[in-house]
Amino acid sequence: MAGMTTSSSTQAASQAITQAATHRLPGDLAIWFFILAELLAFAVFFAAYAFARASHVEEFNLYQQTLDRNLGALNTLLLITGSWFVVLAVQAAHRDNRPAIARHLLLGWLCGAGFLVVKVFEYAAKFGAGISMSTNTFYMFYISLTFFHFMHVILGMVILTVLWVQARKGVYGSHDAHGLESGAAYWHMVDLLWIILFPLVYVMR
Amino acid sequence: MSGAFTKSMARNIFYGGTVFFFLLFLALSFDTHSQLPKRDMRQNITPQIAEGKKLWEVNNCIGCHTLMGEGAYFAPELGNVVVRYGDEGVKAFIQSRPKDGIPGRRSMPQFNFTDEQLNAIVAFLKHVNSINDANWPPNDQG
Amino acid sequence: MQYKSQAVAKPYFIAAIGLFVGQILFGLILGLQYVLGDFLFPAIPFNVARMVHTNLLIVWLLFGFMGGAYYMIPEESETELFSPKLALALFWIFLVAGALTIVGYLAVPYATLAELTGNNLLETMGREFLEQPLPTKLGIVVVALAFLFNITMTVLKGKKTSISIVLLLGLWGLAVFFLFSFYNPVNVVLDKFFWWWTVHLWVEGVWELILGSFLAFVLIKTTGVDREVIEKWLYVIVTLTLITGIIGTGHHYFWIGTPEYWQWWGSIFSALEPIPFFAMTVFAFNMVNRRRREHPNKAAVLWALGTGVMAFLGAGVWGFLHTLAPVNYYTHGTQITAAHGHMAFYGAYAMVNLMMISYAMPILRGRAANGNKSQVLEMWSFWLMTVAMVFITLFLTAAGILQVWLQRVSDTPLPFMVAQEKIQLFYWMREWAGVAFLIGLILYIASFFAGGDEKEAA
Repeated sequence: MAGMTTSSSTQAASQAITQAATHRLPGDLAIWFFILAELLAFAVFFAAYAFARASHVEEFNLYQQTLDRNLGALNTLLLITGSWFVVLAVQAAHRDNRPAIARHLLLGWLCGAGFLVVKVFEYAAKFGAGISMSTNTFYMFYISLTFFHFMHVILGMVILTVLWVQARKGVYGSHDAHGLESGAAYWHMVDLLWIILFPLVYVMR
Repeated sequence: MSGAFTKSMARNIFYGGTVFFFLLFLALSFDTHSQLPKRDMRQNITPQIAEGKKLWEVNNCIGCHTLMGEGAYFAPELGNVVVRYGDEGVKAFIQSRPKDGIPGRRSMPQFNFTDEQLNAIVAFLKHVNSINDANWPPNDQG
Repeated sequence: MQYKSQAVAKPYFIAAIGLFVGQILFGLILGLQYVLGDFLFPAIPFNVARMVHTNLLIVWLLFGFMGGAYYMIPEESETELFSPKLALALFWIFLVAGALTIVGYLAVPYATLAELTGNNLLETMGREFLEQPLPTKLGIVVVALAFLFNITMTVLKGKKTSISIVLLLGLWGLAVFFLFSFYNPVNVVLDKFFWWWTVHLWVEGVWELILGSFLAFVLIKTTGVDREVIEKWLYVIVTLTLITGIIGTGHHYFWIGTPEYWQWWGSIFSALEPIPFFAMTVFAFNMVNRRRREHPNKAAVLWALGTGVMAFLGAGVWGFLHTLAPVNYYTHGTQITAAHGHMAFYGAYAMVNLMMISYAMPILRGRAANGNKSQVLEMWSFWLMTVAMVFITLFLTAAGILQVWLQRVSDTPLPFMVAQEKIQLFYWMREWAGVAFLIGLILYIASFFAGGDEKEAA
């Protein structure tokens, strides 16, 4: 009886610990403020898109056809893969597998670079055809949203670079993954935004 | 939620975020500069219009009027005044301002412009009126 | 006073208050000219009085910023000012240059002033808020650079706190963006485009860093809350400020010939601009609620809380009111803009300077805080000025809504002057609210001379 109580209380305690662990906010609170502000800016931008589309449905549907969905899908794949690598980097840090942290960060970075290359090709085709933000409302949103996101990918890659340098110095491990988690959270946000942006601008009709 | 909140992270985000948004602003400004020639009618700017802008400035017209909505709100919008009054009407109005004002009412000062100066001012105001400013103001009253 | 050289702040604060009085007097003249059109005409036409009103505002705020910096930086850096003599010399140079400029505005016609001061060499005059003659503009640059040199050297030789770093960024930004005031192309669209790089990036950008830094400093001193806590929140708030405010410049690019995508970019980002102001208010109240000590200077705490609330209302709420492009299409360049401008400037910048003065002046005069009588008077002046400003804003808003309706929205739009005559009542009420503001200001000055010798330096 006494033994059972002890074991169940230990169980409860360990459960509480796991719970506390799962409820821990990864990364720094400051990056979450920044992420929230960014998400809010994008949310308002998406809402503006929806609002503008409602009064220009035909224009939006027409010009949406001109976008390259295959390249968009490829980019979605690249960013999701990139996020996956960054997750692996964070997990490697928790396991203290130092070389794996830097390796996975580099792979994540390469996915980001791949995204940029694809996007540059896409832009080159559009700009080559004389399309600009002033062409019409649809292209205004297409270029504004994707370029705003494009710059976020670049910022995310700058952050990954910093993380990579730090990881190579051996800063991160199970004792301290604070900075790594913060940067990873930002990178996931960039990914998440694209996952909303792509269907919204390229696919949904 | 037991995540840490460190000053160094907040500082890095401040620097990073500021640089990021400033660069974004520069990129948009760069695009604006490539688009402006289609809207600002710069190809029509003559020495007379330049002279008109100078007269506009050195007499501090913006201290009472608005131009494309910017300035003081004491006197009417002038970005479209040539539509309201016509070229000759604008000149006649400026010329006819009494030196000592109008009892109890707002009045524009008498600037004693020469005919040449009046023509320059009207040329400038006509130029401003020709700028593509997204169909502002909402009506001719400004 | 911990460092002797902090004393140079005192003349700056006194000059700031003096110029503030001048600003308000000219404000009353302008308000009267709105209803009695020929008041002081042609001796002081509206445009001249307005120039004096707005330029005095800018100059007294700059005096306040400089005085605040001279007071704060030695204490933050834990060292004496690099050169108190330079600070004092700059004070006189700036004061004399400012006074001469104002005299110039009032004494000769503006076109003559332009002629006399070399506007033909480089045409920079005659643009709203940047009316200063070329020598004054150059003087501002010289004074700003020498001031920045002094402050930067002080920080470099002493401790570098987050508060001083944010202040330095704000002040350097102020100097750098002022340089756009020298760029005045013939192309009026370009002229307006870069004019905002000074005006908007000042008041909705770098000045907010100065504001945040001052507020954080006074909150640390009066609440005793951990510096670490206050500084990290300062960073979060100024980050929010700049990520919304920089692209928020776009809300000035709706109708001046710039591409139409600014209507979206400007609306979206400036719609977010209230957030940092809201955060600042929450921050100020939170820190005061978590205070670890009861600071004897209650008035300074009141100003600190007040500046948060009023900046949020004036810049945040009243800004949002007309920042969305479809709304702004009708409200652009009306009394709505004037309403917003008045409360935003008072709430954000006048009040933060008054907060700094309220906190620092008693210490500069050798006591931790003013006596009870003096503080009560100061708090009365706080409420009188603040409530008066709320009413000025409300009356101008009412005037603006009517103006927009009569002149722009209705089926039979009225000419500008006809619409103006129909809203005279609100201009009269605004003028009386302005008189109340002046009484508040007089009380404020009186508070400096009322029973200040209690509570010796703590």
